[in-house]
Amino acid sequence: MNYFQKMRGGGQSPPKVGLAEVLWSWLGSFLGLAAVSLLHFNVLDQTGLMMIIGSFGASAVLIYGAIRSPLAQPRNLLGGHILSAIIGVTAFQWLGFQPWLAAAVAVSTSIALMHLTRTLHPPGGATALIAVIGGESVHNLGYLYVVIPTALGAGVMLIVALLINNISKSRRYPEFWF
Amino acid sequence: MKEIRTGELTPPDISEQDVFEAMKAVEGYIDITPGDFKEVYQTAYALAVKRLLTNLKAGNIMSKTVVSVKQEITLVQAATLLAEKKISGAPVVNSDGKLVGVVSEKDFLREMGFGATPSFMQIATHCLNNKSCMIGRLHNRTVGDIMTKPPITGKPEMAIGTISALFAERRINRLPIVDDDGLPVGVVTRTDLAHALHILGGAPKI
Repeated sequence: MNYFQKMRGGGQSPPKVGLAEVLWSWLGSFLGLAAVSLLHFNVLDQTGLMMIIGSFGASAVLIYGAIRSPLAQPRNLLGGHILSAIIGVTAFQWLGFQPWLAAAVAVSTSIALMHLTRTLHPPGGATALIAVIGGESVHNLGYLYVVIPTALGAGVMLIVALLINNISKSRRYPEFWF
Repeated sequence: MKEIRTGELTPPDISEQDVFEAMKAVEGYIDITPGDFKEVYQTAYALAVKRLLTNLKAGNIMSKTVVSVKQEITLVQAATLLAEKKISGAPVVNSDGKLVGVVSEKDFLREMGFGATPSFMQIATHCLNNKSCMIGRLHNRTVGDIMTKPPITGKPEMAIGTISALFAERRINRLPIVDDDGLPVGVVTRTDLAHALHILGGAPKI
Protein backbone atom coordinates (compact mmCIF):
# COMPACT_ATOMS: atom_id res chain seq x y z
CA MET A 1 0.00 0.00 0.00
CA ASN A 2 1.62 3.25 -1.05
CA TYR A 3 1.55 6.61 0.72
CA PHE A 4 -1.56 7.95 -1.02
CA GLN A 5 -3.49 4.67 -1.06
CA LYS A 6 -3.18 4.62 2.73
CA MET A 7 -5.14 7.87 2.90
CA ARG A 8 -8.21 6.23 1.42
CA GLY A 9 -8.81 4.21 4.59
CA GLY A 10 -10.75 1.18 3.51
CA GLY A 11 -11.37 -0.22 6.98
CA GLN A 12 -14.67 0.07 8.74
CA SER A 13 -15.99 1.61 11.92
CA PRO A 14 -16.86 -0.65 14.87
CA PRO A 15 -20.60 -1.35 15.26
CA LYS A 16 -23.00 1.04 16.94
CA VAL A 17 -23.63 0.17 20.58
CA GLY A 18 -27.02 -0.80 21.97
CA LEU A 19 -29.44 1.64 23.59
CA ALA A 20 -28.63 0.37 27.09
CA GLU A 21 -24.99 1.27 26.57
CA VAL A 22 -26.01 4.74 25.45
CA LEU A 23 -28.11 5.25 28.56
CA TRP A 24 -25.44 3.99 30.96
CA SER A 25 -22.88 6.21 29.24
CA TRP A 26 -25.20 9.17 29.63
CA LEU A 27 -25.92 8.46 33.29
CA GLY A 28 -22.30 7.87 34.25
CA SER A 29 -21.02 10.99 32.55
CA PHE A 30 -23.87 13.09 33.92
CA LEU A 31 -23.13 12.01 37.48
CA GLY A 32 -19.36 12.21 37.05
CA LEU A 33 -19.42 15.73 35.72
CA ALA A 34 -22.11 16.70 38.23
CA ALA A 35 -19.83 15.61 41.07
CA VAL A 36 -16.78 17.60 39.95
CA SER A 37 -18.87 20.61 38.91
CA LEU A 38 -20.67 20.77 42.25
CA LEU A 39 -17.35 20.72 44.08
CA HIS A 40 -16.02 23.35 41.70
CA PHE A 41 -18.86 25.83 41.75
CA ASN A 42 -20.16 25.35 45.29
CA VAL A 43 -17.02 24.66 47.31
CA LEU A 44 -13.82 25.76 45.61
CA ASP A 45 -14.87 28.71 43.48
CA GLN A 46 -14.75 31.18 46.36
CA THR A 47 -11.23 30.11 47.31
CA GLY A 48 -9.60 30.82 43.95
CA LEU A 49 -9.07 27.11 43.48
CA MET A 50 -10.71 25.06 40.77
CA MET A 51 -11.91 21.51 40.44
CA ILE A 52 -12.90 21.26 36.81
CA ILE A 53 -10.85 21.53 33.66
CA GLY A 54 -11.90 21.02 30.06
CA SER A 55 -10.04 17.75 29.69
CA PHE A 56 -12.47 16.07 32.13
CA GLY A 57 -15.15 16.25 29.45
CA ALA A 58 -12.90 14.13 27.27
CA SER A 59 -12.13 11.71 30.10
CA ALA A 60 -15.87 11.24 30.61
CA VAL A 61 -16.19 9.94 27.04
CA LEU A 62 -13.71 7.22 27.83
CA ILE A 63 -14.46 6.21 31.42
CA TYR A 64 -18.25 6.27 31.04
CA GLY A 65 -18.68 5.73 27.27
CA ALA A 66 -15.89 3.34 26.25
CA ILE A 67 -15.20 1.54 29.49
CA ARG A 68 -13.52 -1.48 27.89
CA SER A 69 -10.92 0.67 26.22
CA PRO A 70 -7.37 0.33 27.53
CA LEU A 71 -7.25 4.13 27.35
CA ALA A 72 -10.10 4.33 29.88
CA GLN A 73 -8.58 2.23 32.65
CA PRO A 74 -7.60 3.73 36.04
CA ARG A 75 -3.88 3.49 35.34
CA ASN A 76 -4.38 5.58 32.21
CA LEU A 77 -6.92 7.99 33.69
CA LEU A 78 -4.88 8.89 36.77
CA GLY A 79 -1.42 8.38 35.29
CA GLY A 80 -2.19 10.22 32.07
CA HIS A 81 -3.69 13.26 33.78
CA ILE A 82 -1.13 13.57 36.56
CA LEU A 83 1.97 13.10 34.40
CA SER A 84 0.59 15.45 31.74
CA ALA A 85 -0.20 18.08 34.37
CA ILE A 86 3.38 17.97 35.63
CA ILE A 87 4.71 18.30 32.06
CA GLY A 88 2.25 21.13 31.32
CA VAL A 89 3.16 23.21 34.37
CA THR A 90 6.87 22.66 33.77
CA ALA A 91 6.55 23.63 30.11
CA PHE A 92 4.78 26.86 31.05
CA GLN A 93 7.26 27.77 33.78
CA TRP A 94 10.32 27.13 31.61
CA LEU A 95 9.04 28.23 28.21
CA GLY A 96 6.08 30.49 29.04
CA PHE A 97 7.86 33.46 27.41
CA GLN A 98 7.13 31.73 24.08
CA PRO A 99 3.57 30.45 24.54
CA TRP A 100 3.46 28.67 21.16
CA LEU A 101 6.55 26.67 22.08
CA ALA A 102 5.34 25.92 25.60
CA ALA A 103 2.00 24.65 24.24
CA ALA A 104 3.62 22.40 21.64
CA VAL A 105 6.23 21.03 24.02
CA ALA A 106 3.63 20.40 26.76
CA VAL A 107 1.37 18.28 24.57
CA SER A 108 4.02 16.40 22.60
CA THR A 109 6.10 15.58 25.66
CA SER A 110 3.02 14.41 27.55
CA ILE A 111 2.15 12.00 24.76
CA ALA A 112 5.69 10.64 24.72
CA LEU A 113 5.74 10.23 28.50
CA MET A 114 2.30 8.60 28.57
CA HIS A 115 3.45 6.13 25.92
CA LEU A 116 6.62 5.32 27.82
CA THR A 117 4.73 4.77 31.06
CA ARG A 118 1.81 2.87 29.47
CA THR A 119 -0.58 5.52 30.73
CA LEU A 120 -1.83 6.86 27.38
CA HIS A 121 -5.03 8.79 28.05
CA PRO A 122 -6.01 11.25 25.30
CA PRO A 123 -7.47 13.87 27.69
CA GLY A 124 -4.02 14.03 29.28
CA GLY A 125 -2.89 16.00 26.23
CA ALA A 126 -5.57 18.57 26.98
CA THR A 127 -4.57 18.68 30.65
CA ALA A 128 -1.00 19.56 29.62
CA LEU A 129 -2.22 22.17 27.12
CA ILE A 130 -4.54 23.81 29.67
CA ALA A 131 -1.58 24.26 32.02
CA VAL A 132 -0.10 26.54 29.33
CA ILE A 133 -3.13 28.28 27.83
CA GLY A 134 -5.48 28.21 30.86
CA GLY A 135 -4.84 31.82 31.80
CA GLU A 136 -3.99 33.55 35.09
CA SER A 137 -6.12 31.37 37.33
CA VAL A 138 -4.31 28.23 36.16
CA HIS A 139 -0.85 29.80 36.07
CA ASN A 140 -1.24 31.05 39.64
CA LEU A 141 -1.71 27.52 40.89
CA GLY A 142 1.79 26.46 39.91
CA TYR A 143 2.38 22.78 40.63
CA LEU A 144 -0.74 22.72 42.78
CA TYR A 145 -2.47 22.31 39.39
CA VAL A 146 -1.25 18.72 39.44
CA VAL A 147 -3.14 17.97 42.67
CA ILE A 148 -6.14 20.28 42.45
CA PRO A 149 -7.89 20.17 40.04
CA THR A 150 -6.13 17.44 38.09
CA ALA A 151 -5.57 14.49 40.46
CA LEU A 152 -8.51 15.26 42.71
CA GLY A 153 -10.96 15.75 39.84
CA ALA A 154 -9.80 12.61 38.04
CA GLY A 155 -10.12 10.73 41.34
CA VAL A 156 -13.72 11.87 41.86
CA MET A 157 -14.60 10.91 38.30
CA LEU A 158 -12.99 7.51 38.85
CA ILE A 159 -15.09 6.87 41.96
CA VAL A 160 -18.28 7.68 40.05
CA ALA A 161 -17.13 5.36 37.23
CA LEU A 162 -16.60 2.50 39.69
CA LEU A 163 -20.03 3.06 41.24
CA ILE A 164 -22.02 3.44 38.01
CA ASN A 165 -20.21 1.22 35.50
CA ASN A 166 -20.65 -1.90 37.61
CA ILE A 167 -24.42 -1.71 38.12
CA SER A 168 -25.40 -3.31 34.83
CA LYS A 169 -24.81 -7.06 34.51
CA SER A 170 -23.18 -6.65 31.13
CA ARG A 171 -20.78 -3.88 32.16
CA ARG A 172 -17.60 -4.17 34.18
CA TYR A 173 -15.06 -1.56 35.18
CA PRO A 174 -12.13 -1.54 35.33
CA GLU A 175 -10.61 -4.19 33.12
CA PHE A 176 -7.40 -3.68 35.13
CA TRP A 177 -6.12 -1.22 37.71
CA PHE A 178 -2.43 -0.77 37.12
CA MET B 1 4.91 -36.78 -3.86
CA LYS B 2 4.85 -33.07 -3.17
CA GLU B 3 6.52 -31.53 -0.19
CA ILE B 4 4.69 -30.63 2.97
CA ARG B 5 5.11 -26.97 3.64
CA THR B 6 3.99 -26.25 7.16
CA GLY B 7 5.19 -22.68 6.76
CA GLU B 8 2.11 -22.07 4.67
CA LEU B 9 -0.43 -23.06 7.30
CA THR B 10 -3.02 -20.34 7.14
CA PRO B 11 -5.71 -19.55 9.69
CA PRO B 12 -9.32 -20.17 8.72
CA ASP B 13 -10.35 -17.22 6.61
CA ILE B 14 -12.03 -14.96 9.13
CA SER B 15 -13.65 -11.96 7.46
CA GLU B 16 -13.97 -8.44 8.78
CA GLN B 17 -17.70 -9.03 8.68
CA ASP B 18 -17.30 -11.99 11.06
CA VAL B 19 -15.38 -9.76 13.43
CA PHE B 20 -17.96 -7.01 13.07
CA GLU B 21 -20.79 -9.41 13.95
CA ALA B 22 -18.83 -10.78 16.91
CA MET B 23 -18.19 -7.26 18.19
CA LYS B 24 -21.89 -6.54 17.95
CA ALA B 25 -22.57 -9.58 20.12
CA VAL B 26 -20.36 -8.14 22.87
CA GLU B 27 -21.97 -5.34 24.87
CA GLY B 28 -20.17 -2.06 25.10
CA TYR B 29 -17.93 -0.09 22.80
CA ILE B 30 -14.86 -2.03 21.72
CA ASP B 31 -12.08 0.34 20.91
CA ILE B 32 -10.61 -1.40 17.85
CA THR B 33 -11.51 -1.51 14.17
CA PRO B 34 -12.61 -4.89 12.79
CA GLY B 35 -9.65 -4.79 10.40
CA ASP B 36 -7.14 -4.38 13.21
CA PHE B 37 -8.82 -7.11 15.20
CA LYS B 38 -8.56 -9.45 12.22
CA GLU B 39 -4.86 -8.69 11.96
CA VAL B 40 -4.32 -9.43 15.66
CA TYR B 41 -6.35 -12.62 15.35
CA GLN B 42 -4.38 -13.89 12.38
CA THR B 43 -1.07 -13.21 14.02
CA ALA B 44 -2.19 -14.88 17.24
CA TYR B 45 -3.47 -17.86 15.27
CA ALA B 46 -0.18 -18.28 13.45
CA LEU B 47 1.62 -18.21 16.80
CA ALA B 48 -0.73 -20.85 18.19
CA VAL B 49 -0.08 -23.12 15.20
CA LYS B 50 3.65 -22.61 15.60
CA ARG B 51 3.38 -23.49 19.28
CA LEU B 52 1.42 -26.65 18.49
CA LEU B 53 3.89 -27.66 15.80
CA THR B 54 6.55 -27.41 18.48
CA ASN B 55 4.58 -28.97 21.30
CA LEU B 56 2.96 -31.83 19.42
CA LYS B 57 5.48 -34.67 19.44
CA ALA B 58 6.10 -37.79 17.39
CA GLY B 59 4.98 -39.84 20.39
CA ASN B 60 1.54 -38.22 20.22
CA ILE B 61 0.84 -38.93 16.57
CA MET B 62 2.80 -42.07 15.66
CA SER B 63 1.22 -45.42 14.84
CA LYS B 64 2.29 -47.55 17.77
CA THR B 65 1.62 -50.96 16.31
CA VAL B 66 4.83 -51.35 14.40
CA VAL B 67 5.04 -54.04 11.79
CA SER B 68 8.76 -54.62 11.52
CA VAL B 69 10.60 -57.16 9.40
CA LYS B 70 13.78 -59.08 10.22
CA GLN B 71 16.73 -58.32 7.97
CA GLU B 72 17.39 -62.04 7.31
CA ILE B 73 14.01 -62.80 5.75
CA THR B 74 13.70 -63.14 2.01
CA LEU B 75 12.17 -60.48 -0.16
CA VAL B 76 9.33 -62.80 -1.04
CA GLN B 77 8.47 -63.20 2.63
CA ALA B 78 8.77 -59.47 3.19
CA ALA B 79 6.60 -58.68 0.18
CA THR B 80 4.00 -61.17 1.39
CA LEU B 81 3.95 -59.54 4.82
CA LEU B 82 3.64 -55.99 3.45
CA ALA B 83 0.89 -57.10 1.10
CA GLU B 84 -0.95 -58.81 3.94
CA LYS B 85 -0.75 -55.73 6.17
CA LYS B 86 -1.55 -53.43 3.24
CA ILE B 87 1.40 -51.18 3.98
CA SER B 88 4.03 -49.94 1.60
CA GLY B 89 7.02 -50.17 3.87
CA ALA B 90 8.30 -51.20 7.28
CA PRO B 91 11.23 -50.79 9.65
CA VAL B 92 13.86 -53.50 9.45
CA VAL B 93 15.35 -54.92 12.66
CA ASN B 94 18.33 -57.17 13.40
CA SER B 95 18.28 -60.24 15.62
CA ASP B 96 18.45 -57.99 18.75
CA GLY B 97 15.33 -56.17 17.64
CA LYS B 98 17.30 -52.99 16.93
CA LEU B 99 16.42 -50.87 13.96
CA VAL B 100 18.91 -51.24 11.12
CA GLY B 101 17.05 -49.91 8.11
CA VAL B 102 13.77 -49.29 6.36
CA VAL B 103 12.38 -51.29 3.48
CA SER B 104 9.64 -49.99 1.20
CA GLU B 105 8.19 -50.35 -2.26
CA LYS B 106 10.84 -47.94 -3.43
CA ASP B 107 13.59 -50.39 -2.51
CA PHE B 108 11.83 -53.23 -4.32
CA LEU B 109 11.37 -51.10 -7.42
CA ARG B 110 14.95 -49.93 -7.38
CA GLU B 111 16.09 -53.54 -7.05
CA MET B 112 13.95 -54.45 -10.05
CA GLY B 113 15.73 -51.83 -12.08
CA PHE B 114 13.00 -49.21 -12.27
CA GLY B 115 14.59 -46.40 -10.29
CA ALA B 116 12.98 -45.17 -7.11
CA THR B 117 9.78 -43.58 -8.39
CA PRO B 118 8.39 -45.23 -11.51
CA SER B 119 4.73 -44.76 -12.35
CA PHE B 120 2.47 -47.77 -12.52
CA MET B 121 2.24 -47.41 -16.30
CA GLN B 122 6.02 -47.58 -16.63
CA ILE B 123 6.00 -50.84 -14.72
CA ALA B 124 3.06 -52.19 -16.72
CA THR B 125 4.67 -51.33 -20.04
CA HIS B 126 7.88 -52.90 -18.94
CA CYS B 127 6.22 -56.11 -17.80
CA LEU B 128 4.13 -56.40 -20.94
CA ASN B 129 7.23 -56.15 -23.09
CA ASN B 130 9.44 -58.41 -20.98
CA LYS B 131 7.54 -61.40 -19.83
CA SER B 132 9.92 -62.03 -16.95
CA CYS B 133 8.92 -58.68 -15.45
CA MET B 134 12.31 -58.65 -13.75
CA ILE B 135 10.67 -59.93 -10.65
CA GLY B 136 13.09 -62.84 -10.84
CA ARG B 137 15.79 -60.54 -9.56
CA LEU B 138 14.09 -60.52 -6.21
CA HIS B 139 14.48 -64.22 -5.55
CA ASN B 140 17.12 -65.36 -3.11
CA ARG B 141 17.70 -61.86 -1.80
CA THR B 142 17.05 -60.79 1.76
CA VAL B 143 15.58 -57.61 3.12
CA GLY B 144 19.00 -56.70 4.47
CA ASP B 145 20.34 -56.61 0.91
CA ILE B 146 18.00 -54.01 -0.46
CA MET B 147 16.85 -51.96 2.54
CA THR B 148 17.64 -48.27 2.86
CA LYS B 149 20.33 -47.87 5.49
CA PRO B 150 21.29 -46.32 7.73
CA PRO B 151 17.69 -45.49 8.59
CA ILE B 152 16.56 -41.94 9.20
CA THR B 153 14.92 -42.16 12.61
CA GLY B 154 13.21 -39.94 15.12
CA LYS B 155 12.71 -39.97 18.86
CA PRO B 156 9.25 -39.88 20.45
CA GLU B 157 9.93 -36.31 21.67
CA MET B 158 10.61 -34.98 18.17
CA ALA B 159 8.27 -32.09 17.30
CA ILE B 160 5.95 -32.57 14.35
CA GLY B 161 7.27 -29.38 12.76
CA THR B 162 10.72 -30.99 12.65
CA ILE B 163 9.28 -34.22 11.28
CA SER B 164 7.50 -32.54 8.40
CA ALA B 165 10.68 -30.67 7.52
CA LEU B 166 12.54 -33.99 7.56
CA PHE B 167 9.95 -35.59 5.25
CA ALA B 168 10.33 -32.76 2.80
CA GLU B 169 14.13 -32.57 2.91
CA ARG B 170 14.88 -36.27 2.79
CA ARG B 171 11.97 -37.13 0.52
CA ILE B 172 10.80 -39.96 2.75
CA ASN B 173 7.27 -41.10 3.53
CA ARG B 174 7.70 -42.74 6.91
CA LEU B 175 9.88 -42.10 9.88
CA PRO B 176 10.55 -44.96 12.31
CA ILE B 177 10.52 -43.75 15.89
CA VAL B 178 13.04 -45.47 18.16
CA ASP B 179 13.60 -45.39 21.90
CA ASP B 180 16.96 -44.69 23.51
CA ASP B 181 18.06 -48.28 22.95
CA GLY B 182 17.38 -48.12 19.22
CA LEU B 183 14.30 -50.34 19.47
CA PRO B 184 11.44 -49.28 17.20
CA VAL B 185 8.42 -47.98 19.15
CA GLY B 186 6.34 -46.59 16.31
CA VAL B 187 6.21 -45.06 12.88
CA VAL B 188 5.08 -41.61 11.77
CA THR B 189 3.81 -41.67 8.21
CA ARG B 190 2.76 -38.84 5.97
CA THR B 191 -0.80 -39.85 6.73
CA ASP B 192 -0.22 -39.50 10.49
CA LEU B 193 1.26 -36.08 9.89
CA ALA B 194 -1.63 -35.04 7.66
CA HIS B 195 -4.08 -36.05 10.40
CA ALA B 196 -2.17 -34.09 13.01
CA LEU B 197 -2.02 -30.98 10.82
CA HIS B 198 -5.68 -31.35 10.02
CA ILE B 199 -6.50 -31.38 13.73
CA LEU B 200 -4.54 -28.14 14.05
CA GLY B 201 -7.11 -26.65 11.69
CA GLY B 202 -4.63 -25.65 9.06
CA ALA B 203 -4.75 -26.75 5.48
CA PRO B 204 -1.97 -29.28 5.15
CA LYS B 205 -0.57 -29.06 1.66
CA ILE B 206 0.35 -32.59 0.78
